[in-house]
Amino acid sequence: MKLLIVDDEQPARDRLRRLIDEAAGFEVAGEASNGAEAIEMVSALHPDVILLDIRMPGIQGIEVAHHLNHLEAPPAIIFTTAFDEYAMDAFDAQAIGYLLKPVRRERLLRALQQAARLSPEQLGALAANARVGQRRQHLCARQQDNLTLIPVEDVYYFVADQKYVRVCHRRGEHLVDESLKSLEQEFADRFVRIHRNALVAAAQVAAIEKNADGHAQVRLRDNAADTKSRLRISRRHLAQVKDRLIGG
Amino acid sequence: MAANPDVADRDSQAYLPDFCAARTSFFAVLLAELVAIAISLASEGFGDTFLVELSKTSLFLLWYVLLAAALLCRLRGWLERLGQRRAFVAGFVLLQSLSIVLAEASFLLTSRFGVSLVISHSHLNFLLSIFVISAIINSLTMRYLYVSSEWRRSILLEAQARISALQALIRPHFLFNSMNTIAALTRSDPARAEEAVEDLADLLRANLRASSDRASIASEIEIAQLYERIEKLRLGDRLRVDWQLTDLPASAAVPGLTLQPLLENAIYHGIEGLPDGGTVTVAGRMDGPYLELRISNPMSSEQIQRSDGHGMALANIQQRLELAYGSRASVTVDQQADNFSVCLRFPANESA
Repeated sequence: MKLLIVDDEQPARDRLRRLIDEAAGFEVAGEASNGAEAIEMVSALHPDVILLDIRMPGIQGIEVAHHLNHLEAPPAIIFTTAFDEYAMDAFDAQAIGYLLKPVRRERLLRALQQAARLSPEQLGALAANARVGQRRQHLCARQQDNLTLIPVEDVYYFVADQKYVRVCHRRGEHLVDESLKSLEQEFADRFVRIHRNALVAAAQVAAIEKNADGHAQVRLRDNAADTKSRLRISRRHLAQVKDRLIGG
Repeated sequence: MAANPDVADRDSQAYLPDFCAARTSFFAVLLAELVAIAISLASEGFGDTFLVELSKTSLFLLWYVLLAAALLCRLRGWLERLGQRRAFVAGFVLLQSLSIVLAEASFLLTSRFGVSLVISHSHLNFLLSIFVISAIINSLTMRYLYVSSEWRRSILLEAQARISALQALIRPHFLFNSMNTIAALTRSDPARAEEAVEDLADLLRANLRASSDRASIASEIEIAQLYERIEKLRLGDRLRVDWQLTDLPASAAVPGLTLQPLLENAIYHGIEGLPDGGTVTVAGRMDGPYLELRISNPMSSEQIQRSDGHGMALANIQQRLELAYGSRASVTVDQQADNFSVCLRFPANESA
């Protein structure tokens, strides 16, 4: 079984690696020292199990788990933490294990064996049941088996495009496998619904204007608009958008 | 009290005693009687008229003291909101006004009913003497209450400082991570593991022993550096501390348990949230008789959004400095886009 160790502290990684090396049947495929690195390495190495520290700089462990759960074949997630305050979040993320540091050898092995018994289908089912207990700071776009992280604060707008939602952000465009409705709910303070199929970042709106046909549209700030496009505001949403963006 | 922490908390932080309580009223009556005896003795000695004089003086003083207690009981909430010094000044003014009103009332009553025996002085003379006597006694009482409230506050703050230092130290995050580090090092680098256990023991001991009495800046720095060494094992190159303390006289006195909690804040709220870590700067300098300590750390935008603040430890240090040095000490917090800094300024080399 291939394992990935994720912890921002070198001694903590060393110790886990040593404990695993001493047990038979497990192979440490790699180590990552923060959440973003962990997501990259999962895409590259396809580990079966990931030992994931919860409190890390940047993307925290729980959020990493939620992104990994979007994968076609997610790894089994075992959280490690120094302090027992995240158990509920870990439970929501459908982790199969939750280990307290310093981790005891027997508990680690028991968790790993439990992970080994789960089939990919079972893991997939677990991942599908995971709930996002906290607001994310990143979105995760999947291309085949690669995950790309998009900081929420970089997003200009979302447009629903049949099955997927297209995310236009500072570094380009990606598709995410989420519904516009759930995005709207999760990030209500940041985005405004301007059309049945579009959410726009309130902070990125430069003006509301009328086009030649008399339809209202949103013009984005210059830095946001390598896209020269204007986004149409539907009649139904116009009053609400004006309220929110112009402040009444 | 224990069942209602709010009340307990409010009472331990109040400046004035609770005059609505029977115990306080009892002591007020006792004080009034003692003063009455002193005044009667001074004017009559142990003569035939002593008891007569005592009963007249007592009558006046008991009225006064009970009315004063009732007044302070009613106005306590308002007085407490004024802040410490003003509460005592306002209390004094209230009591003085009451003494004049009462003196005037008793003068009018006695002259009306022709009991002129009671008061042998002229009107103005009578009012003035009552005013001066009550001013002397009221100021003594207020001073006593002020000093004892200061004393209670300092005990409370010291206890809080100890508790928060201990809590920070056994902040589960720190303690368990340190143990995890030591567990990792015991095999890979036993010598460093041994050192880490020694450092942790010294740090615990220093925190258990420390009181908020003055400590020398040298020992404060030593404790903070112990802490740095332990955290460095865990965080590696991500933690860098730039000590700029060259020009400080080693014997300069500072309130104990000041530097290490601030360094801990800088690491916990700052460095740990940065994937590549950063540098905490601890700078100290003398500015005339004042010592200035500045601790600054970089912070990620996410941490600032979460507005972790530097919370309890900082508030406690601020209160203790204020208590020890009054307005001569200051704590300045500067929150920039990606940097947080705390500056402490207080007179050094003052013995408490």
